[in-house]
This record gives sequence, structure tokens and C-alpha cells, in this order.
Amino acid sequence: MKASKKTLASLIVIGFLLILAACGGDDSVNGNNEGAEEGSANKITIFQSKVEISDQLQALAKEYTEETGVEVEVVGTTGDDYFQQLQIQLNTDQGPSIFSLQHVKEAEKLESYLYDMSDEDYVANIAPNMELALDGKVVGVPYGVEGFGLVYNKDLVSPEDVADLDSFVSTLEKLNDEGINGLGLAQDAYFLIGHISNYPFSIQDDHFEFIDQLSAGEVTMAETPEFQEFGEFFDAIKANTKNPLDVTYDEEIGDFATGKTAMIHQGNWAYGMLEEYDLDFEVGMLPFPLNGNDKLAVGVGNNWAINGTKDESEIQAASDFINWLVSSEVGQRYIVEEFGFVPAMTNIEANDLDPLSQAVFEASNSGETIPWAQNYYPANVVPNDMTPAAQDFFLNEEMTGQEFIENLDVAWQKSVK
Amino acid sequence: MAKRKNWGWYALFVVPLLVIFVTVVIVPFIIGIFYSFFEWDGIRSNPMMPVGIENYIQLFSDSRFLDSAWITIKFTVLAVIAVNVVGLTFALLVTSKLRTANIARTFVFMPYLIGGLLLGYIWKFVFSDVFVMIGEWTGLDTIFFNWLMHPDYALYALVIVFTWQMAGYIMIIYIAGIQSIPGEVIEAAKIDGASLWQRNRRIIFPLLMPSFTISLFLTLSLGFKIYDTNLSLTGGGPANATELFAMNIYNEIFGYANYGYGQAKAVIFFIIIAVISLTQVYITKKREVEMQ
Amino acid sequence: MKRAGKISQEVLLFIVALLFLSPIYIIIVNSFKDRQSLYENVLAFPDSFSLEYYAQAMEKMNFMSALGNSLYITIISVIIIVILSSMTAWMLARNDNILSRIIFMGFIATMLIPFQTIMMPLIQLMNNIMGATGIPMLNSREGLIFMHVGFNSAISVFLYHGFVKSIPISLEEAATIDGASKFGIFWRVIFPILKPITVTVLIINVISIWNDYLLPSLVLRDTALRTIPLSTFYFFGEFTIQWNLAMAGLMLTIIPIVIFYASAQRHIIEGIGEGAVK
Repeated sequence: MKASKKTLASLIVIGFLLILAACGGDDSVNGNNEGAEEGSANKITIFQSKVEISDQLQALAKEYTEETGVEVEVVGTTGDDYFQQLQIQLNTDQGPSIFSLQHVKEAEKLESYLYDMSDEDYVANIAPNMELALDGKVVGVPYGVEGFGLVYNKDLVSPEDVADLDSFVSTLEKLNDEGINGLGLAQDAYFLIGHISNYPFSIQDDHFEFIDQLSAGEVTMAETPEFQEFGEFFDAIKANTKNPLDVTYDEEIGDFATGKTAMIHQGNWAYGMLEEYDLDFEVGMLPFPLNGNDKLAVGVGNNWAINGTKDESEIQAASDFINWLVSSEVGQRYIVEEFGFVPAMTNIEANDLDPLSQAVFEASNSGETIPWAQNYYPANVVPNDMTPAAQDFFLNEEMTGQEFIENLDVAWQKSVK
Repeated sequence: MAKRKNWGWYALFVVPLLVIFVTVVIVPFIIGIFYSFFEWDGIRSNPMMPVGIENYIQLFSDSRFLDSAWITIKFTVLAVIAVNVVGLTFALLVTSKLRTANIARTFVFMPYLIGGLLLGYIWKFVFSDVFVMIGEWTGLDTIFFNWLMHPDYALYALVIVFTWQMAGYIMIIYIAGIQSIPGEVIEAAKIDGASLWQRNRRIIFPLLMPSFTISLFLTLSLGFKIYDTNLSLTGGGPANATELFAMNIYNEIFGYANYGYGQAKAVIFFIIIAVISLTQVYITKKREVEMQ
Repeated sequence: MKRAGKISQEVLLFIVALLFLSPIYIIIVNSFKDRQSLYENVLAFPDSFSLEYYAQAMEKMNFMSALGNSLYITIISVIIIVILSSMTAWMLARNDNILSRIIFMGFIATMLIPFQTIMMPLIQLMNNIMGATGIPMLNSREGLIFMHVGFNSAISVFLYHGFVKSIPISLEEAATIDGASKFGIFWRVIFPILKPITVTVLIINVISIWNDYLLPSLVLRDTALRTIPLSTFYFFGEFTIQWNLAMAGLMLTIIPIVIFYASAQRHIIEGIGEGAVK
């Protein structure tokens, strides 16, 4: 009994010693913070969702501090809970000076927090139609452009194999007979249905108008020819490929990298993962041939926005940082080389891109692209409503593509109600 | 005089914790109830429109919510049974004189040490890879397939993972209970020739009633509140078949941005589970044998 | 014969326990693999046990700073929780009046509230308190400790309360006659008897506070204040999870707590057979 008391006591003592040690280590950091906070515009905070660039952004912030003396704190969170965190942070007085927004729906929600950047110089360099705009005001600068399409193995597929619905179907069938999975999707919401669902919207003459009409109930997907053909694509995918609900994102990439899958529906971001494998074939990116579509879907995944509720000096400091990011040599080098983005600014050169980013970059420069309609979808319709409908479709053997489209109509109405 | 002094002691012992507790839990909860009477998207600077009890009325025709509530109850019942049976069995085994008891106790408790999301991801590997592999080897592919793909089995998968994680926790509580039973009582029963089952049934279980109260209540509350594992293991799928209650509210509040409506759901569900759980506590408490 | 039965029981228990532990195998082996080998076979043994990913994970997580924060927050919170909730539970259990019952019901009823439903009002309230009083509730470790105490008080009071009721009241009466104050009775007579349940309360609180992600993620913003679970966010990208680093990070998170559990467990063992009440 006595011995046990002694050990308990020593455990507590050890604990306290560790605390003291930790506190000692922290002091220098805290000291710095306090010093900087005295002049308010000497410090800005960035809260952003793309975890992949956290380290690099921190390094960049350091360089900025060395150059200008303004301290930049980069705060991150996991990709999944970013927006909810942002919302809660903004509801306190602790909100960041700069934060990231994915699309106009998020911007609408946070409208009262957004600083109008329209008059800033750097806005002029944003590639046409790539800025985040709300009611004619520019409220966000794109991180870069991203594109998705059919990422294909050049040894197994050639462009004419997937030029339209018929060739697409016969290619899937042929590959299936050879024991190769023709097209890989994955179970995650955006890889299962989110990205691929763009096509029937994006090839409409005016996808904004179409989406408005759809939300208002004036048109339905089930009666729109592009969607009917999209349903046929899904019939072919279900009949001839591995059930995507059984495939994680990692497996989708792994199957493709090892030649078990001939094509995956993915974006240029996937190259980072492909690089970790020893690829023994060339990869490329092809348009998804819905209605004979021959353009890649290119858009902006994330934008920098400035918190307009901060005091003027902090807003100015935030704006200066963004200007430096997209205009200075260091900032531009980081965007292309360190972040690995395809630049969405006309004043940034890009060399040595990976093959997928190169395809996106070329498409984007030549203007041969279709837009990301998903940026105009009702908020969270993809994970909340479209994904369950797609899961239903892939689980239920009997369900046809047309029925699936009808279910998507139902899902859509649920999210706009 | 003595009475007032007693109240002074009472306040001294209870008030500090109560103040913290009320600030951190009760007040935010009441604010939440207040929000449930508004239509609001959860952004401070956006308008809040008072809608009276409309959010509450709307609830009863929301089939996704009703489904979710039903699945949550089903899950919780299964989980409570599984966790307590496994936890109690291990508690009885590891307090016996077996030499491997110590190491077994450590092993069983280990899963509880792992918190958070990664746990669900790991089990995803188990179901999608290990289960499928076992199915192929043994030919029992009607039992061993990827459970996460099947609307019913996905829920059972969640029960298994929850049991795996929580059984060690509940085991600890049963162990504490078993330890508080005087050794002489059990020895006396042994000498009287009572069998293992008789000793359990007649002596240990009745004396364990306080532990039952605690364990049942804890598993009920943990089951009702499950979120992390739900998110990382099934994400609510397939086709919303495993969208448990906390996730449904979370999606309503942060997904659909219906803050007020989400809070109304939270209030209603709180009332339902409070009634269920407090009834359980009341019943089991009544059966507790106070040791004097 | 009896001996053989006993041995088979031993072996059986060991195997079942091992089976229970087996999913952790996946964490360990995959903390040593690159993406390609993980894809090829999740269950396979790694080619080498190089600590490369651990070193990387520690560096990215800024491990020593995070460890210091986690220790500070967990230890202080748990000490406060044990002191306050044991006192409260004892008073509530020994003064069985209507007020005690309401307070006790209040504690246990709130254990049914999912944290997700109150987190936003909570943070707003803390922000307002901070604005009104200047006390740094948000973005400070002490503010987080305050909230941890609040959230974990219910379960702790609940556990102590059940245990106190099994202690014979005669012990306290004897001490009262000797003229000891309530304070003295509690700390000299009652608290030592509570030891088995204190160990349980300690273990449960240490684990839940140590592993908590959501609350600290809302409260702590400064990089320098991050706890260990918060630091692992780097491995969960927008599109990709860096499995090897995430698994190594998870191992780094649970190793301190396994050490803690292993040392605390000895106190549970001591209690066996001894009984709480002599």
C-alpha cells in the first residue's frame, strides 16, 4: 500500500516536471506573439482548407515575414471540417484575416464577411471568368485552376476509343472481356458522383440558367436529353466495371497505377498520388464524351478571400499579402513549384508541369474547356443528396440509368426546398 | 446554526463544479433551444427569423429524420447489449485467478485508447479487405463479404466496431464494481459449494447492480451520441442506411445550413433519449442493493 | 485433468484477447509502408521497420510542443475534475434532498447531449465572456481546461455518486463524533476509500481529454498551442490521406497513454480481492 502511494506521487511529480519543461519551451513563442500583436497590422492570420499546401504555405509566410516584417500565421484543419470551423470562428471575434472559399455558394452564405476586392490591382490579372464574383463584385482570388476528365493509361486506351457513347460502351465491354476494369470511380462523394455529374449541366448552353430552372421546378433532369444520355453512360458503367462503392480513393488510384484499371475519372490533383507508384506507362487526360463532348472540365477549387469585418489596417495587410503572393517572384514560384497549382493568373508562367496538369493548363489557355457547374449547385447537394442516390443505383442491380436520373431529380428538390 | 453550517459545506463542495458545468454545458444548451424557434443559417451577421414552433412541426413529416431516429434506436439497443455482454464477460474472466488475466485486460482495453476518426478507417480495411479475403478462403462468402456495402449489415458493422471500442471501457467499470465486493463473501459461497454460475447469479450480479446502472446508462448515452466512428466507417451510407442521429443533425446544421431546424431536432431527440435513459436508471437503481 | 482444463482456459482467454487486439496490427504495420505497399496488401508485413515515417510525422506535428500542450491540458484538467467531482458527488449522495436530486439529474441528463449540437453556442458564449471580462477563454490552454472540466464533470460525478452510495455511512458518523469537519472527513476518510473509482475516473478522463479533437480544434487557434490530436490534421488532406504518417501519428498519440494506462493498471490490480471496504 505504501509503495503504491509512492509511485502515484512520483507519477504526479514527473507529470508536473514535464509540464514545467513544456512551459519553458513555449515561452519564446508566446513572447513573439505578444510583441507582434501591439501593432495590429503587423500580423495577419490565414485559415485555409487545402491541407496539402499547409507546410509550403507556412514556409512562404516565413519568407514574407523576413521580407516585410509582417507576421503571417497559418492555421489549418482537416479538409473535411473546414467550413464548419470557419463558420464558428467567424461567429467569434477570433476570425481569420484571410480564409479560403470553395465556390460562390459559400461566398453567398458569408457575404457580409467578404471584402470587395474589385479595385485591387491583382484582380486584373485573374484569368477570364476564373474570379470568385458575387453581385458583380470580386470577392475571391483563385488558388489555381483544376481540371478533371478521363485519366487514362495510354497503353490500354487511345482517344478514339472513348469519343462518344457507343465507342465508350464498346471499350468498356472489350476491356471487361480482357479482365481489365474499364473505368474506375471511387466511393467518396465527389469521386462517385460529384465531379462526373457536372457534364450534363456543363454542356448546357447556359448552365446557370439551367440550374435555376431546375431548382424552380421548371425543367427536370429526367426530361433533358443530356441527362438521359448520362443515364446510359451510368448503365454501361454499372454493367461493365467494378462496383465503385467497393473501391476507396486509394484503391482507385492503386488499381490504375498497376494497370488493373484502364481509366479513372479523376482530376490533375491525382498525379501527386500516382507519382508515389513506379508507373510503367504514360498517362493522359481525355474529355468525358457525353453528347460527343470534347473539352475538359476546368474550374477553380479554392479561392482566397479577405475578412472585411476586420479593421482597416488588417484588411490592408491581408490585401498586401495576397498581392505579394500572386505578383512577386517568390510568391509566383511557390504557387507553381511548391503548391503545384496550375496558375489561374495570366501573369504567372508555368513550366515543367506534370502530364495531367499540363493537359489542364493547355485546355485552360486555349479556352477549350467546359465550366464546373458544381460550383453553382445547391450547398452540399453532392454529399447529402446525390451520393445516397448514386449508392442506391450501384447497389440495386435492377435500377436503370433513367431511374437513377429520376432519383437525382428527387434528390435535387430535397436540397432546394 | 448547525443547519446553516451544513448548507455552507454543501455549497462549498458543490458550487465550484456546478458553476463550471452550467457555463460550459447548460447555458449553451439553453441557447440552442432558443435557436430552435428561429429560421437561421448559423452565420452571426445573417438575419434570424422567428418561426415559433414550426421547426418542431416540420420534424414529424421529415422522413429522413424519422428514419435516422429509428436506425439510431436500433443501433443503440444492439450496441448496448453487445458492449455489456462482452464487457461483463471479460470483467469476470480477468478478475478470476487466470494467469493470462492481466495481459487480457490490457488487450481488451487497448482499442479504447485509440480515439477519433482513424479507427473507422482502419475497420474499413478490415471489412473491405480482411472479410472479403476470409470469405474467399473459407467459401463462407455469404457471411464474410464487405458488410459496409449492404444497408443492413453496414449497421451491424457499426455495432461491431462500437463494441470493439467500448467493451474495454465498460469492462473497467465492471471490474471496479467486482472489486468492491468483499472477497470473503465470494470465498464463503465457494466453501458452501456454490457453482460458478450460482455465485454469479446469486451473489455477484445483485451486488453489481450499481455497475449495471452505470454501464447501461453510459452505453446508452454513448450509443445515442455516436458520431466519429459513424462518419469514418460508413459516412452514413450506403444510401443513408446508417445515418445515425448525431450525423443527421450535423448535416442539417452544417450541411443544409438549417441551424434552427437542426436544433429543434436535437431538442426532440434529447427529450426522447432522456425519457428512455432515465427510465432505465430509475429501474436499475431500484434494484440496487445498498451495502450496509 | 483439472490442470489441463485450467491451461486450456488460459490459452483460450489469451487467444480471444489477442483477436480483440488484432485490428491494431493494421495500424502498426502500415505505419512502416509506402503507398504502393499499402495498396498491394494492407495486411502484409512491411519490408523494413525503418522509423522514417515516425521521424517525419514527429517533425510535421511539432511533436515535443504538442506533447507539452497535451500533457499540461490533460493533467491539470484531470486533477481539477477528480477533486471537484468527488467532492460534489459525495455531498449530493449524502444529502439526499430535492436540490441534490435535481442537480444530479442535471448532470446525468446532459450526458445525452451530442457535443455537435451545442458547440456553436458554446464558442459564442465563451467569446462573449471573453469580450465582457477579458478572461482568455478562447485560444488559451486554460480556457480549454475550463471547458474540459465542464464536459467531463457529468460522467465523473455519475461514477463517484454510484460508488459513494456503496460506502457504509457509519465510517463518517464515527469521524463526525470525533469532531472532524466535513472537509477533514472527506479528505481523510472518504477520499482514500474512493481510490478504486478514482483510478477509473482518472483513466476515463485522461483518455477522453487526451484524444479529443473537436473541442480543442474549436478553442485553440495558435499553432504553438496545438495538442497532439490537433497536430495530426496535416495527414488528412482535401483529397488524400497520407496513411503511413497518419498511422505513425496515431501511434505517437497513443503511446504516452498506453504508458499511463500500464502504470495506472497496477492500482486496479492491487484492489482485487482486497475490496474497497474493509
